[in-house]
Amino acid sequence: MDRETVAKVARTAHLMLSEEELDRYSRDLGDILEYFKSLDEAPAHAGIGVNPVEVADILREDIPYQEFNADELLKDMKTYENYIRGPKLS
Amino acid sequence: MTADATLAQLKRLNDAYQMFRIFTADQTAGDAKFLFSAKDNLTSQEYETCCGSRILEGYRPIFDATAIARLKTAGGKLIGKTNMDEFGFGTFSVNSAFGVPKNPFDRERSCGGSSGGSACAATVLEDHISLGVSTGGSVCCPASFCGIYGLVPTYGRISRYGLIDYGNSLDKIGLLARDPVKLGQYLPVIAGKDPHDPTSGIQPELKLRHRPIRSIAVPKEAMKGISPTVAKAFENGLQILQSIGIDVERVDMPMLGYAIPAYYVLATAEASTNLARYCGMRYGHQDGDYTQGFDAYFSSIRTQYFGDEAKRRILLGTYTRMEGFRDRYYAKALQVRMDVIDAYKAAFQNHDAVLTPTMPFVSPKFTDIAKMTPVESYAADYLTVPPNLAGTPHLNCPCGYDADGMPVGMQFVTDHWHEDELITMAEQWDKLFDVRIPEVKA
Repeated sequence: MDRETVAKVARTAHLMLSEEELDRYSRDLGDILEYFKSLDEAPAHAGIGVNPVEVADILREDIPYQEFNADELLKDMKTYENYIRGPKLS
Repeated sequence: MTADATLAQLKRLNDAYQMFRIFTADQTAGDAKFLFSAKDNLTSQEYETCCGSRILEGYRPIFDATAIARLKTAGGKLIGKTNMDEFGFGTFSVNSAFGVPKNPFDRERSCGGSSGGSACAATVLEDHISLGVSTGGSVCCPASFCGIYGLVPTYGRISRYGLIDYGNSLDKIGLLARDPVKLGQYLPVIAGKDPHDPTSGIQPELKLRHRPIRSIAVPKEAMKGISPTVAKAFENGLQILQSIGIDVERVDMPMLGYAIPAYYVLATAEASTNLARYCGMRYGHQDGDYTQGFDAYFSSIRTQYFGDEAKRRILLGTYTRMEGFRDRYYAKALQVRMDVIDAYKAAFQNHDAVLTPTMPFVSPKFTDIAKMTPVESYAADYLTVPPNLAGTPHLNCPCGYDADGMPVGMQFVTDHWHEDELITMAEQWDKLFDVRIPEVKA
C-alpha cells in the first residue's frame, strides 16, 4: 500500500502517523493485502455470514426502567454543571 | 493448597509470571467457595478494565460482565484481571501495555495470546478457573502453549454483556483450567440467555449428558506446515484416541485454507469501528487539549495511547471497509465464512468432531517472536481461526511435549451447541494422558 493511501486511511481513522510509521505501515499493510489475495480465488457463496449462527430479534417488554444512576455514569467523565465536557466544535 | 494460601502468594507469583494486570490485596477468601480470574476485557466493578490498552487506563466500570456476575453469584471471588494483547490483537500476548505474561514451563517463552495471562493464571494457580475471550484463537492458543485445557463454547452460548468488543460477530467468552472437570462445572454457571445480549437469546438449552465422541475427521490441509514435534505429538494423540475405539478418518477440507484472510478482514473491519469510541471523552485518558477542535483532539488521544498493533489493525480494517474495496474484501469474507461453516457441517454429517493440532509449533521464545513479521504472526493462527470464524465450539487438550518439555495441544471442534461432547472428551482424555504440571518458581 502506498504512503499516500496509508495517510488517507489514517486521517479517516483519526490517527496521526510519523514519517517512519507511514513507511512501516505502508510496507506491513502491503504484505498483508498481498496475503489476502487468496480471497479472490475463494469460491463465492450465495449467502453472507454476518453472524456465525442465526440471530433473531428478541425484544424485552417496553417497561421503562433505569439500570444505572446517572451520577455513577458521569463519575469517569469530565463534567461541568452535569454536562459532559469535550473539545470545541471548530 | 487452600484459597487463602493462594492469595498469600499471589504477589510473589505475579512478580515471577506477570499474569495479572491488577489483582486483589486480600489475604483471605472469606466466604468464597472458589477463586477465579478474568481477562482484562471483561468489565468488573472492583478493578479497572483496560483491555491491555493505555487508552483505557483509569477506566473503572460500574457493572460486572454477565459471566463475572454469574460466577460471583455462584460463590466465586474474582482475584484479578489478567494481562492480554491490546484489545485481543495478538497471538503471543506481547502486545500488552501492562506486562507480558511468562510461560510457566519456560519464562523465556510466550504464554500465547491473546488470553495469555488467563492461561498463565490457570496453569500456575492450583484449583483455579480463568475466563478468557476468543476472537480468532485466543483461548485455545494460550491453552496449548501452557499445556492446559481451554474451552470455547458456541458463539452466543455465553452472554457478551460486559465483554468489551473486538469483533462482535466473533467474540466468545471461554474457560481455561488445569482440571477439565472445572469446564463442565462452570460452563453451565455462565452460559444461558441474558436479556442484556440478544445474541445469547437464540441458544438451545445446555444439557451435559456426557455424550462421547465416537468418530473424528482430521483435515489433511491442517497437517501442512506444522512442526515435526507437533506432528509427532498429534499422531501419538490420534493413536491413543483410536485405542479407545474412536474412528479416525483423514478428510479434505480445502475451505479451511481461506479462513485466515477472511477472518482478518472481518475482525479488523469490526475492530476499526468498535475502537472508534475511544477518543478521550468517555473512557480512560481524557488529558488532551480541549482547545483543539474535535478532530484534532480525538486524533491526538488515539495517536498517543493506541499501541502499534492496534493502529495497524485499525488502518487495515478502515481500508477494507472503504468504498471501492468493500466488495473485494469485506463482502467476500462474509461469503467465505458461510463456506467454512458449510465445510464443518458436511464433516459433522459423518463425524462427531474435527480434530487438528491447535498451534503449528510449540511456544516460541520472546527473542524469536520479536523477529516475526505481522503476516508470519497472523499466519500462526491458521488452525485456531476456522472454528472461531464458524462460531463452532472447540477445545484444547494437551497431547505431548517437545524435547525441551514444552507442551503441544490438539483442538477438537464440534457442531454448533455441542459443548457436551467436548467436555466429555476433556474428562475422558485426562484419564488417558499424563498432563504435566510445571514447577512453579516464585
